[in-house]
Amino acid sequence: MDREQQTPVLSVVGLTKDYPGVRAVDDVTFSIEAGSVHCLVGENGAGKSTLVKMLTGALQPTSGSMKVRGQPFFPANPQEARDGGIATLFQEMHVVDELTVMENLTLGMERSRFGFLVKSDLDDRVVRTLNAIEPSIDATARVSSLSVAQKQIVEIARAASSGASVIIMDEPTAALSEREVERLFGVIRRLRESDVTVIYISHKLDEIFQLGDAVTVLRDGRHIATAPLSEIADRSDLIRMMIGRNVFQTYEPRKTATGETVLEARSLANHLLDDVSFDIKRGEIVGFYGLVGAGKTEIARALFGADKASGSITFKGNPVGHSPRQAIEAGIALVPEERRTQGLFTNLSIRENIPVMNLRKLSDKGVYRSSEELAAANEYVGKLSIATDSIDKHTEKLSGGNQQKVVFAKCLFADADLLLLDEPTRGVDVGAKMEIYNIIKNMADTGKSVAVFSSELEEVLGICDRIFLLYSGALIEEMANGPEVDIAHILNVVTGGGEGAVQ
Amino acid sequence: MTISAQIPPRTEFTRRRLGDEAFITLLVVLAAVALFLTASLLVPNFFQLQNMINLVTNNWAVISLGVGVTFLLVSGNFDLSVGGVVALSGVLSVWFAQSAGGANALSTGLGMPYFLAIACALLGAMAIGGLNALFVVRFGVPSIIVTLGTMMVARGIAQVITHGSQRNTNLPEEFGVLGNLYMFGTSVKLPVVLMILLILIAVFIEKKTVFGRKTYWIGANAVAATLSGIDRAKHITYLYLFSSAIAGVVGILLASEFKSGFSNRGMLMEFDALVIALLGGVAIAGGFGSVVGMFFGAIILAVVTSAATGLVLSPDWQFTLKAIAVFLAIVVQTWALARRNR
Amino acid sequence: MSQPTAISQGPTDRNGRIARFLRDYYIYFVFVAVIAVLSVANLDQFTLFERGNFLNKYNIINILRVSAPLITLAGAFTLLMVSGYIDLSVGSAMSLSAVVYALLAINGVPFLPAFVATVAVGVVLGTINGFLVVRLKITPVIATLITLSLYKGIALLLVQDGVSAIKSGGGLKMPAWFNDYGREGVLLSLPMAFWVAILVTLVLIIVQKRTLIGKYAAATGGNPTAAKLSGIKTGKIVWVLYGIVGVTAALAGIARSSFMSLGDPLSGDGMELTVILVVLLGGTAFSGGEGRVSKSFVAALIIMSLTVGMLTLVPAYYQTLVIGSALLLAAASNHIVSKKGKSS
Repeated sequence: MDREQQTPVLSVVGLTKDYPGVRAVDDVTFSIEAGSVHCLVGENGAGKSTLVKMLTGALQPTSGSMKVRGQPFFPANPQEARDGGIATLFQEMHVVDELTVMENLTLGMERSRFGFLVKSDLDDRVVRTLNAIEPSIDATARVSSLSVAQKQIVEIARAASSGASVIIMDEPTAALSEREVERLFGVIRRLRESDVTVIYISHKLDEIFQLGDAVTVLRDGRHIATAPLSEIADRSDLIRMMIGRNVFQTYEPRKTATGETVLEARSLANHLLDDVSFDIKRGEIVGFYGLVGAGKTEIARALFGADKASGSITFKGNPVGHSPRQAIEAGIALVPEERRTQGLFTNLSIRENIPVMNLRKLSDKGVYRSSEELAAANEYVGKLSIATDSIDKHTEKLSGGNQQKVVFAKCLFADADLLLLDEPTRGVDVGAKMEIYNIIKNMADTGKSVAVFSSELEEVLGICDRIFLLYSGALIEEMANGPEVDIAHILNVVTGGGEGAVQ
Repeated sequence: MTISAQIPPRTEFTRRRLGDEAFITLLVVLAAVALFLTASLLVPNFFQLQNMINLVTNNWAVISLGVGVTFLLVSGNFDLSVGGVVALSGVLSVWFAQSAGGANALSTGLGMPYFLAIACALLGAMAIGGLNALFVVRFGVPSIIVTLGTMMVARGIAQVITHGSQRNTNLPEEFGVLGNLYMFGTSVKLPVVLMILLILIAVFIEKKTVFGRKTYWIGANAVAATLSGIDRAKHITYLYLFSSAIAGVVGILLASEFKSGFSNRGMLMEFDALVIALLGGVAIAGGFGSVVGMFFGAIILAVVTSAATGLVLSPDWQFTLKAIAVFLAIVVQTWALARRNR
Repeated sequence: MSQPTAISQGPTDRNGRIARFLRDYYIYFVFVAVIAVLSVANLDQFTLFERGNFLNKYNIINILRVSAPLITLAGAFTLLMVSGYIDLSVGSAMSLSAVVYALLAINGVPFLPAFVATVAVGVVLGTINGFLVVRLKITPVIATLITLSLYKGIALLLVQDGVSAIKSGGGLKMPAWFNDYGREGVLLSLPMAFWVAILVTLVLIIVQKRTLIGKYAAATGGNPTAAKLSGIKTGKIVWVLYGIVGVTAALAGIARSSFMSLGDPLSGDGMELTVILVVLLGGTAFSGGEGRVSKSFVAALIIMSLTVGMLTLVPAYYQTLVIGSALLLAAASNHIVSKKGKSS
């Protein structure tokens, strides 16, 4: 195989994307060698997803140019991008459950005569591609009968057989078990052997070192570096480039004495959780760290009563976990994982969003006091410095960070004593992230308890006093945070290498 | 380091003078007034006080049903069962009140005292609401299908009880009182007064109570509402019971007015209730709309249909006019909101 | 490189397989059961047609004859619902077509031109629905409720004041051939209307299995984003499907009109509910993606057998109640079954 190609398969020059008031991608220039696995890293909000959207035609750049195999490339929509040889694997599954594997593989590329489907070499080709990538999948099976990992491989096979020379994979291992990840890596390596370029986006740096040939680092919309991974010394080297500082030092032990135990969870179990028990004390910030799918969201939702789990949960001596309503009345509030679909009323204004979790405070015998709603909205918009010109602005028009602050305002208004924060800074820019961390610390300093459920180690190590490590629905280990935490050990535990890990 | 140290908190923020909802309601009111004035120019004798009163009083039944339907639409759910419930409760009230020994099957009832009869009829109506809630909330079936089904069930029961026609004999004296009671010596009947009371209560609930607010939150985002501690299942159940209770009362009053239980009564009323809500700016996606808007939507429909009659158009025009009116209302609303929030 | 041992397999356990088997074949069992029950039921009051058993030749012919409109509609409606959309205006479109067809016939237009013109009207009606839903982006339920009212209104306006339907009288006479299409046996004593219904069903079965439209309908309903990202013009597919539903509504209107020898502007009232009942009974998912034209065909036969069979057992005024209850049951069981099949 000829690895010494002259022209890079993909190059971007001076690529810039402006949103009103924000420059999401700022003059980015780099190129990608054919037949390589090129990793794209950066914090949330660094501009990765905007860049990818421009490559796939979902967004058009404000200025700058892109080239595929030396040819100018300006996709107006995803279809054109795919015709130009760039296919994308999104985080959500884009397969049709009701069709067969075969039908999915050919979807949108069918050969037809007068609207009738006709057999063609395409059918053989997609089956060959699928077999080359993953022979265990039956092409005639219905996709609804496949596992998540298998569906993903079907998507990859589709991209590969569509003749794509570049496949973009955005966090492809998010929902996969460790064994499935191994298998996916096998698939990616086989793609590379057949000269397909993979742009691999992941927060899991180990995967990048394991898989990647080269890496491009973005920070705050700017291009920081593009280099072969062999030239990167180690994780902390990469992390330093990503965030421009050494994160693991930001944790300052807080002097607030942690008080009595407020929450006791015993033997929580459901189809995703396996005998999870822990305590949370007054005034402390605890972190639940694990990869996506380790059971973080499930624990948060079980504590909040949003999902059923067996076992017992008591909060300040009272049983909870029956319903969100009961949890809120007992003094527990949740910032859910999906801000837009679970946390916010996007069609309603900031003012109308804030009071919803504590209606008793704003009402008298069922009569609602709008003047207090107004006062509350003004108070919290000021307190959390939510950037808006009007409290009557629809929350869908706010930036991610400000939206998240509105969700926080909801929970603060609820006067909760325990806050469950599920991925509190996902999709939030760096500035807002720091502000949110400060809000969290302030709350704990005033004697409230906070549980942070996060898949960002930096976040957990940065603010939590105590950390629970999760793997595959089980709580593997509890540790106190401090300067001497062993990061290698943590990563080992959450990837399934811990002692007593449930297989 | 605290946040307030970085950015001095602002205490007051500019407010928009008029919310989207008030804006749309205002548009609806203006449209109703404009249509009324246009009709006054075109149709002789249209611009009269009595005619204005008639526009409301002739439509008391549909407007009353519109209240329950509006609340449900705001919560993101349909209720197409109300027309069937009107028939059912009317027929039940007649059947329960008819004396036990009649000449034939259709003149023989259960012989209950009148007030017990209407109480039981109301319970029967609310059973349909309960059925709606059960299927929508518990089984998660789309509300449009459920309420179309219960509409047929309710009307079907009414048809079985009346053998497909009506019951109007062997009724106690007091049966015809409620529906024909003139209030305060005017030509206004009790049902109209009840409708006005209902509107006032509904506006109060909608604007001033926690219950009203919850309806909007559920409609805007049911998942977020649940995670914010709102018991969606309970709330939707209340709304369906509320809507069917209104329909039950309407049915009982109509049965009293005509002194009969007719299985085809209330035919297409569910459709008209939906039409006036849509004309009034209630959004089908949920979380948007108001009872006041619905009321003026009803005025719009009444003006259009009565003007059409005044212009000697055949009554067959009503379906076409309704279709055009709803279509225009939806297109204009979408356009106006898009422009405003650009 | 690791060898290809199975990754975690999907739901292939026994319960899952039984659930899937039930989902795939239950409709045929229901059909057999309904026929069996109706055949052995004591048909004392069986006076409507010839006295005798349910599986009597005349009874079967009668059921199949009156089934023509429903069978015609069921297949196209299934495809539309598979794509995740709905059309509540089918009943009104059917009424309007019936009126148009009768109007043309009574004014001396021969069979074939009248037939073709009415089908063309059906195409227009379906296209209007498609326009409202696809182009103006009005919610399908509301858009087709608007046209339900519109088409019904036009049908009523086409019939003169004071007359309930287009029929002989006032100097005009319905031509003698008008009845033939819906009643006159041409093959196995069954009329043209029935054979057209069968033809439409066969064509739609092929469309669903062998054409781009069928496949894209499933993709549009199953995962609209995936369909769009695959370059499928989902709006166009939906528009075409509304057009097809319009055509079948016209054919159903012609069949009904010819069978009743009049153009009744209310003849399609409530048809949308019966069709939804049939399609849900046939296992089509309300949320789209899932559903078979062939199963809806069987479901249509079940509903017509029940409707006609019931007339021999209970008075006609039970019909609304029974259909309403069946609709609720079908919707609930359909929803529960399809949910289980997906999440297990």
